[in-house]
Amino acid sequence: MVKGKTQIVADAPRDPQDVGYTLPVILAVAVHLAIIIFSLVNWPSHSVEPDSSSIVQATFVSTETFTDQAQQVTEQQAAMNSATEPVEEPQVSAPEVAEPEPEPEPQQDNQAQQQAAEEAARQAAQAEAEALAEAQAAAEADAQRRAVEAERQAQEQAAQAQAREAEAEAQRQREAEAQRAREQAEAEAEAQREAEAQRAKEQAEAEAKREAEAAAEREREAQEQREAEAEAERQREAEAAKAREEAAAQARREAEAEAQREREAAAEREREAEAQRQREAEAERQRKAAAEAAEAAMQRQLAGEAEAAANAQQAQQAANSFINIVRRAVEQAWLIPPGASNSLNATIQIRLGPSGELLAASVATSSGDSAFDRSAIQAVEQAAPFSELRDLPADQQRNLRQINLRFTPGDVR
Amino acid sequence: MNDNTMSIPHLIMNASVVVQLVMLLLVVGSILSWVVIFQRSIALRRAKQEYNQFEESFWSGVDLNELYREIPADDPRHGAEHIFQAGFREFNRLMPKTRNADTVLEGVQRSMRVAWSREEDRLTQHLVFLATVASASPYIGLFGTVWGIMGSFQSLSMTQQATLATVAPWIAEALIATAMGLFAAIPAVIFYNRLSNNASRLLGKYEDFAEEFHAILHRNLQGRDGKPSAS
Repeated sequence: MVKGKTQIVADAPRDPQDVGYTLPVILAVAVHLAIIIFSLVNWPSHSVEPDSSSIVQATFVSTETFTDQAQQVTEQQAAMNSATEPVEEPQVSAPEVAEPEPEPEPQQDNQAQQQAAEEAARQAAQAEAEALAEAQAAAEADAQRRAVEAERQAQEQAAQAQAREAEAEAQRQREAEAQRAREQAEAEAEAQREAEAQRAKEQAEAEAKREAEAAAEREREAQEQREAEAEAERQREAEAAKAREEAAAQARREAEAEAQREREAAAEREREAEAQRQREAEAERQRKAAAEAAEAAMQRQLAGEAEAAANAQQAQQAANSFINIVRRAVEQAWLIPPGASNSLNATIQIRLGPSGELLAASVATSSGDSAFDRSAIQAVEQAAPFSELRDLPADQQRNLRQINLRFTPGDVR
Repeated sequence: MNDNTMSIPHLIMNASVVVQLVMLLLVVGSILSWVVIFQRSIALRRAKQEYNQFEESFWSGVDLNELYREIPADDPRHGAEHIFQAGFREFNRLMPKTRNADTVLEGVQRSMRVAWSREEDRLTQHLVFLATVASASPYIGLFGTVWGIMGSFQSLSMTQQATLATVAPWIAEALIATAMGLFAAIPAVIFYNRLSNNASRLLGKYEDFAEEFHAILHRNLQGRDGKPSAS
């Protein structure tokens, strides 16, 4: 007891049974911290648990599951925008059910693209043909124009010849007139002379005077005749000069016309080349416009598809939410018969009325346990009026009139 | 609902002020109750060890006067030693004054009862706090839960469509208060029972020791009574 005594003596100054509070406080705080850390560290495994411990696993089997369709479409669109190469086959990333729906669309895209390309090519070919035809037409028109011009020139020449003939005729007439006038004048002079001779015979006295007068008259007439002849000669000369001048003018005109024709032909060629260029540019523009139009059409089609996909997505979501509601209701109403093993699996087919009332519930795939099947059907009947069906769009309603529900008891009794 | 919004720290930080105050109160109560638990456990273990040591030395055949003299008079002792000291001092003081054995024994018994009562008070100190935490914290937590669910229903009345997802966070954060109340209460209940049982057992031992010591003194007085009466 020496040992105990020394201990007591050593502890004597302070109360041995009065324990201080610092150590308990430290311990208590440590305990709480440990619990908090434990709960925080352990939390993720806790969050996983509820998934496995769901009591009922009634799964909806018949309708398709929701996929990321719209995203694929936008990806396609992006690919289309970046390069007009055909898009590679989209990878369907739906985890549970690989549905065949999204695959045809890219093919459609390809087809549309091909169609658009073909159309563009066709349009280009057409434009080219049109250009060719146009060129031919232009050439024809040109030839026609040239022919017409030649004709015109021929006509002009003919007209000029006619004019020349007419002038010659007029000259001849003028000469004939002059001749006639001269003959007349001569005949008159003859007649006058005869008359004067008669009168001279009759009137002697007056005859001399008249004779003198007649001589003067004759002289004067001869003078006139000479003058007229000179005049005619001058006129003839002038006529010939004029004809020469006209011939020269004609030659000049023809040369000019030839030069004009050449110039015109050059201009025509230039014009034609210009027109050809314009036509080519036009054709190019048309091809471009056609390609752009095809592109725009494709874009529109893609946008429409994206919109349709978004609509389908919404509808799918609505359908999924309705299916979830049905599943929850059925799960809540389901009383699993005692002794049902976890491996049982029954599929119940449900037909719904337009307002969500239950028309029929039948066993599509029996589990082999009739009590289990009955309990599943009773669960559906209990949960029956699914009035949420009315909230869905009409086409979805039709799809969801008939539902298959698979009943499998979970791991919890 | 992902993990982040439903994690416990997130729920606590998003709770309403009243619920947060309730949670704070419960955390403080839990910490204090654990302080009491550790402090009392250590103290009771030490008291039990000291009692065992003293009992061993008492029954080892040592002279009681010697044992009494080993304890310094100005150093207060606890447990069985305190009872022994009080009884023996009273015995020594009364012996010269009276010849009546019954008076002496009565005085010794009274002084030992006083010492025992002080020991009881010392041993069961703070255990009442533990009992209070154990009984009150579930109610406090329940109050926080009720308050939180009231809030959740108020918020539910404002939403158009009442789904489980809109109510779930509110109810979860409300239920955290109850969880914390139970978290504080359960150790308090367990350790209150255990510690009070330990203390009462120790007090029972003290009582036994007092009776035995009383019996020894009585035996001695009988011998001394017989001697003077005989002589």
